[in-house]
Amino acid sequence: MERRDFFKKAAVVAGAAAVGTSTTEAGITQQPIDNRKISPVAFPEKRPLIMYSDRPPLLETPRDVFTSVLTPNDQFFVRWHMPDIPTHIDPDTYTININGLVEKELHISLNDLKTKFEQVEVTAVLQCGGNSRSAFKPIAGGIQWGSGAMGCATWKGVRLKDILDQAGLTKDAEWIGFNGSEKAAYYETPEFIRELHLDELDDHVILAYQMNDEDLPYLNGYPLRLVIPGSYSDSWVKMLSNITVTNKYKSLFFMDVAYRVPDNDCECETPEEKAPTTKPITKMNVKSVIGYPTKYSILTQKSHVVIRGVAFDDGHGIKEVLVSTDGGKTWSKALLDNGKLGRYAYRAFRFAYKPNTLGKVTIMTKAINNIGEEQPFAKDIKWNHGGYKYNGIDEVTVEVV
Amino acid sequence: MKKFILITVLLSTILFAQTKENVEVPYVAFPIKMGKGFDAIQTNCLMCHSFGYIINQGKQSKKFWRGKVDKMITHFKAPIDEKAAEASTDYLFKHYGNGKLQ
Repeated sequence: MERRDFFKKAAVVAGAAAVGTSTTEAGITQQPIDNRKISPVAFPEKRPLIMYSDRPPLLETPRDVFTSVLTPNDQFFVRWHMPDIPTHIDPDTYTININGLVEKELHISLNDLKTKFEQVEVTAVLQCGGNSRSAFKPIAGGIQWGSGAMGCATWKGVRLKDILDQAGLTKDAEWIGFNGSEKAAYYETPEFIRELHLDELDDHVILAYQMNDEDLPYLNGYPLRLVIPGSYSDSWVKMLSNITVTNKYKSLFFMDVAYRVPDNDCECETPEEKAPTTKPITKMNVKSVIGYPTKYSILTQKSHVVIRGVAFDDGHGIKEVLVSTDGGKTWSKALLDNGKLGRYAYRAFRFAYKPNTLGKVTIMTKAINNIGEEQPFAKDIKWNHGGYKYNGIDEVTVEVV
Repeated sequence: MKKFILITVLLSTILFAQTKENVEVPYVAFPIKMGKGFDAIQTNCLMCHSFGYIINQGKQSKKFWRGKVDKMITHFKAPIDEKAAEASTDYLFKHYGNGKLQ
């Protein structure tokens, strides 16, 4: 298709997810915005999703996808930081470079990666630290995501440890820097680099080239991305091109300024009095999201409804998911799936429900993990300036007729 | 047999899309409120990111928008002079502001 055609096509579709439309109450955290429309524009290898931006691409998964443990690749959310993403990648020549404080520099082709190392798989949740940001009041800075900046996939690739072992770390090696291939419009703009301390890297960290048995979709980081189960997605560098080992932490925008929360117990602050020190968002907290019904569902009185959704945390594992249909006064246990995809995956839950009264009913879900952490009510979640780490009890209000 | 071949061709087109040709990310038109200062937005903001990235931040204070402009200058090294920074902030606050200065 000619570029001109794109402009012509684009001009007829006003595609903004548009500014927030939830009711606001000053200072009290609400349910995240849940009325975004699906964009008419489909991005490469994706079905039409909720769309916030085309450059960089920012796409959100609609709620009704969260009924199954694995999120389909073509509905998986997308979040890039820079506008210029390579549009042509040749898998035959693509190499990943390992350099810095190593005994032997490596240049590994995709083919070598797939044939000369042990191949491993991990099923893990990928969630943006700003997922559900639209819950915070006053509005926190950043894209006003609903609850769909997350997904779960089975990632296949090679252990980072195996690659570092082959390169051979020198004695003073301490930090590992990961470069993505996305570029800014200006040369001076800092590149998207993440640094991880050696202690943060366990056997579960892999360089993945496959997602749910297919090549990574272009918009999810083809041909190779970092997978760090349990951590928020800002560390899962996409289109991974370079790994540099250092002995000193290098100050970086995406490490030192973005993706940080107040460094106090509640990880909270007020707009008037920001916390003096911050820390990286790192590990995910316990969360559940209802996939069915949605606010657009219509339930029939006295019918047999199965409420479905997913729950996850940073890898401690989900102990139970509780459901309430009376505003949180009483809670009942939902059935969990067998959990065979491991502790980093979604646990799908289901709950048999028979609506007895007519009119609106609010369904709430609360996940509790194996170390007893549970989701708070939205109103009990305190504000932070970046709107990170929202994990309030999920709510869907639906009409019974 | 003919049908079989057709299916094979379609499949390989999908699987090798990344290697045979460039990926085309669609351009999307966002609703833009025209007004004083939009020139500054067009020159200084839209060459790095879409208008959607701006309007999907939600309605914000003047201080917030000025902070965003400063972030682009300080951290992303955007060459925006003070006059353009002020014009951009005023535009953003007028059309996507919450009415609060702070």
